[in-house]
Formats: sequence, C-alpha cells, structure tokens
Amino acid sequence: MDSFTNENFSFSHESLQRDFELLTKAVDASISGVIITDNQQPDNPIIYCNAAFERMTGYVRNEIIGRNCRFLQKEDRGQKERKILKDAIAEGKHSVVEIRNYTKSGSLFWNELYLSPIKDEKGNITYFIGVQHDVTQRKKAEQDLKQEQQSLERKVEERTRVIKESEEYLSSIYQTVRESLIVLDPEFKVLSVNEHFLRTFKVSTAETEGQLLYDLGNGQWDIPKLKELVEQILPTSNPVENFEVEHDFPQIGHKTMLLNAYRIELEGQYKDRILIAIEDITDRREIERRKDDFLSIASHELKTPLTTIKGYVQMMERFMPEAADDKFKNIVKKTGSYVERLNSLIGELLDVSRIQTGKIELHKEPFDFDKMLYDTVEGMQTANKEFDIEISGKSVNNYVGDELQLVQVVNNLLSNAIKYSPNAHKIVVHTSLVSDFLKVSVTDYGMGISIEDQKNIFERFYRVGDIQQHFPGMGIGLYVCEQVIKKHGGTIWVESEKGKGSTFSFTLPLNERKNDE
Amino acid sequence: MMSKKVLVCDDDEGILDMVSFVLEDSGFEVIPESNSLNVYSLIEKEKPDLLLLDLWMPVLSGDQVLKMLRSNPETKDLPVIVISASTEGQKIAQEAGASAFIAKPFDIDQLIDRVELMLQ
Repeated sequence: MDSFTNENFSFSHESLQRDFELLTKAVDASISGVIITDNQQPDNPIIYCNAAFERMTGYVRNEIIGRNCRFLQKEDRGQKERKILKDAIAEGKHSVVEIRNYTKSGSLFWNELYLSPIKDEKGNITYFIGVQHDVTQRKKAEQDLKQEQQSLERKVEERTRVIKESEEYLSSIYQTVRESLIVLDPEFKVLSVNEHFLRTFKVSTAETEGQLLYDLGNGQWDIPKLKELVEQILPTSNPVENFEVEHDFPQIGHKTMLLNAYRIELEGQYKDRILIAIEDITDRREIERRKDDFLSIASHELKTPLTTIKGYVQMMERFMPEAADDKFKNIVKKTGSYVERLNSLIGELLDVSRIQTGKIELHKEPFDFDKMLYDTVEGMQTANKEFDIEISGKSVNNYVGDELQLVQVVNNLLSNAIKYSPNAHKIVVHTSLVSDFLKVSVTDYGMGISIEDQKNIFERFYRVGDIQQHFPGMGIGLYVCEQVIKKHGGTIWVESEKGKGSTFSFTLPLNERKNDE
Repeated sequence: MMSKKVLVCDDDEGILDMVSFVLEDSGFEVIPESNSLNVYSLIEKEKPDLLLLDLWMPVLSGDQVLKMLRSNPETKDLPVIVISASTEGQKIAQEAGASAFIAKPFDIDQLIDRVELMLQ
C-alpha cells in the first residue's frame, strides 16, 4: 500500500473515495480472479473477491466471503500444492502454484494462483492477496503434449526394441549358418564375417574386420578369380550364384569353394555393400571324386571277366554242332543276351553316377559324324542279327562334338528300339541335313508309347508303367540322351502311336553358336 | 602263306586265354603274355605282326608300354590295338599312339575284323 499512500494512485483528482471506486472497477474488469484474505482472523478467511473470481468459480460473492480458500479444492485435498501454499502462508512468502480447483457445479479447472502477503509496519502478515488464472486450457494442452511425448517415447522404445531384436535375430541367423559369410563395403574392405568364416579359414575377427579383402591373412585372399567376381562380374550381373573358386591357402591347404555374391542395390546406408557366401565344397568334391574312382574301378573290374564270358559264349555259338539240340542252342543264345544286359547295367551304373554329380563333360573334337552313325548302327546290327536295321541318308563328315557321348546316344536309341519291339524286327535309321542342323531319326515298329508317357520318358528313372517287369533297366537311357544332346545345343523328341511304333529324332546345330553353357 | 603273329598282353588270364583261343581259331599265331614288362623283349624275339594291348596293368601300364614302343624307331610302326574296359580307354589309347581301340567287352567278330584289317 506504499504506492497508494505515496499517492501514486491519486489519479481521479477528486477524492480518495472516487479513486477507490475506480480501482475497484478496474479490479472487477480484470479477467484474473483476485481475492484478499485476512490473516488476522482465524482460518484466514476471504474478505474480498472480484467479479472474475465469481465467474471463474461459479460462486457468487455471498457464498465466497468468509470461506477459507481451500473450499475450492472440495474433496481433492491431497494435492502437494496445498502444502506449498500452507508453508508460504506460514512464512509470509510469495508463492505461485498450479492447483486443481472445482467450480460450484463441480467441474475441474486448473488455477494458477499467485499468492502475495501484505505486512504491517511491524512486519506482521495481515493480509494475503491471491490472483488466479484459469489455466485449464493451457494445462490440458500441456498434458496432451506430455502424453504425446510419452507415447512417442514409448513408440521409439518399442521401435528400438524391435530393431534390436531383429538385429539380434539376423545376427543369430548369420552366426548359425554353416556357410562362411563376408560383408564388404563398396571399397572391398571387410565389414564383418561370421563365426563359420573364422573357423573355416582359421582367422580371428581382429585379423579380418576393417581389412581389404585381398590383404586378408597376408594376401592369402588375393585370389584372381575372386577379384574378377567382385570387381567385374558382380557390378554387371547381380547376384552371382554358384561361382566356383579353387585356391591354395598357405595355412589351410587347397580349397574348392562355391560362392554366392550379392551387391545391395537398395538406396540407403547399405547401398553397394557386397555379401559373399562361401560354401566349402572341398570335401564334397573329394568324396565325389572317390566315388567316381570307385565306380570306374568297379566297372573296369566287372567288365574284365565279362569280356572273357562274352568271348566264350560267342565261341560256343560258333562251335555249335549242326546237330545240337534246339534247347541247347537256345540256352547259349539266351546266355549271350544276358551277358549283354549285364554289360549295359554296368555301363548305366557309371552314367547314373556321372549324372547325379551333374558331370556330363563334353570332350569336343571334330569327327566324321556319318561314319560314326553308320559304324554304330553296324555294331548294333552285328550284335542283334535277328533285327534288320536299315540306315539311309547323309548329314556331315565333319562335326565338332563328343563322339563317344553321341555314340552312346545312338546306341541308347537303337537298343530301346530293339528292346521295345518284341514282335517287329525292323528298325529304320535316317540322317539328313535340315537347314543348319543335322538330324537323325530312329524308327521302330514296336509297342509305341502313349501320349501321357511321351511327356515323361526323358525324365531320370522314369519307367513306363508295366514296362519295368518285362524290360528291366534303370530308366536312365533317354535321360542321358537328352542331356548329351542338350549339351551339344540340340533337341531330342519322340513321335509315337501306341501299338504302331515310335520315332525318336534329334537335331544338332552345325554352326557353333554362343550357347549358354 | 605264313600265319600272322599276334602278341597279346593282358594281365587277366581269362582274357588272355579267350583271346588266344579266338585268334588261333581264326588262323593266327598267338603269343600270350600277362606281364607287360616282358613285351619289349618278346617283340624283339618273336617279331610279331601286331600287338593287342590292355591298358590297366600292374607295374607298367599299357599306355606306358605303347609310348615306349612309339619312341623306338624299331617298333614305332608296329600296329597296336588297345583293348580296355576303362571309360577313358579310347582317349588314353589315342594319346599314347594306338593304331586302334576296342572297348571291353567286345564282340569277337569285331575283334577278328579289326585284327585282319590291321594286318592287310
């Protein structure tokens, strides 16, 4: 009230009374609620409230005067702000709190309360002035914001957890696979490798991560084919699969590796990183090689006594006395045909093995195709005298291909024709030039093949229904034929009618084209 | 006419017996030999007109024998037919300088024809 007594408030130039009225009007015009409490009376009752306070609380003046301020908190007494207020009042200090108040009708409003004590000349606190603002809107906005923040934080936490989980998940996959994995940055520096890599190549993480791929293990990984893969092949054809690399590692010896490589094309932080998966097939190759060796030796050893048997059986036929019993002649003849079957089974054994390991390798050399065909037919004719094998036409004398494999194809087709013609004894072979292809057809007049079976006969181990019982074999012959013809860039097909016979034909391109190997 | 002399070298006695039997029946004189180490001295001693040679034999393999014969001026033109059950037989025989190759098991007519053709 010092400013008042100093006449700072003497603005009406009339009377103190007039000044007071003006001041009261001004306070009533405020949108802030203003109250005065009398601290000299018991329980610090409200002795003044302005119009804004009435509007804010919904109470009228005669319901307010005489009450302690706490009546605005109704039942909500536990708020910590009350303690702050109580202490401030006891100590006679200024205080600002935000406290939950309730209007007369019971609805909540947030009250931002400024409390300032008025002291007399002796320093006793006589009054308190309370100025209040309804900050419900602001409070609500604050709370909404806080909630929004919390929910955002929860979401971030959740996302972080999910990312971490999926990282751990990926890493556990990465570490569990039984293949070596390397991740390279675009400059071919190793970003990471998995456990299997470390174990297989006997290195530590420290020796690998951050190093240039080619510098790994003192240049052990400076492998020309690997360089070619990552620097030349991968940039143009991504991904690369089953890329075979052989290398002699000074520490761990000779390794045959099958590589898959993938360059990340997705825009972002991982772009142009290179993933390389390495399968160590050294042992597998060794096992395949041993199996092939074993089968070669086995077939050689089996064929040796068979050669003797076959020779003697043929000599038996030669020395057959004119007067010999038909039964005996028949026995000798049958023995001969079963020796042949045994021979072809031994041959198939090798073919099955070679095909299962995916190894039909062609040794291409120029040879006289027509001569090969005529010779093969002649050989078959000699061995099957009861059949009449006609051969006609000509294609080329000079063809570049694998003669032995093609002999096998012709032999397979001829022996099928013979095998499946129990009641016919004629086979027709014809060869010709068609555009820039040579063509060979083998026609029999035997049992024929149904349309459904025609679709499958080139499949491995496929045998036509009841055929198995009467015509034993491994069901490999036509599969081999197709593989060999395909490898030469040609086509093989069948045309057949059940009961009338079949024609198997194949074509081979004469002009060496760029076939994708 | 003097019958032609064929030296047969195979470590398998069964094949040696059978081939000798077949060729003798066709009128050839046959010298059977199961040890490839004796081939060279037999050629010097018997002067055969043709050699029938197996590939897989212990100690000295057929292709080694053949290469040796081809490098010697006295034997480089001797007709040699390689007989083998090896899958790679034809290739090995060709590279070693064989005059012909017959895969085991063979047809005896085919064997006789080939021998006769070589001796013409």
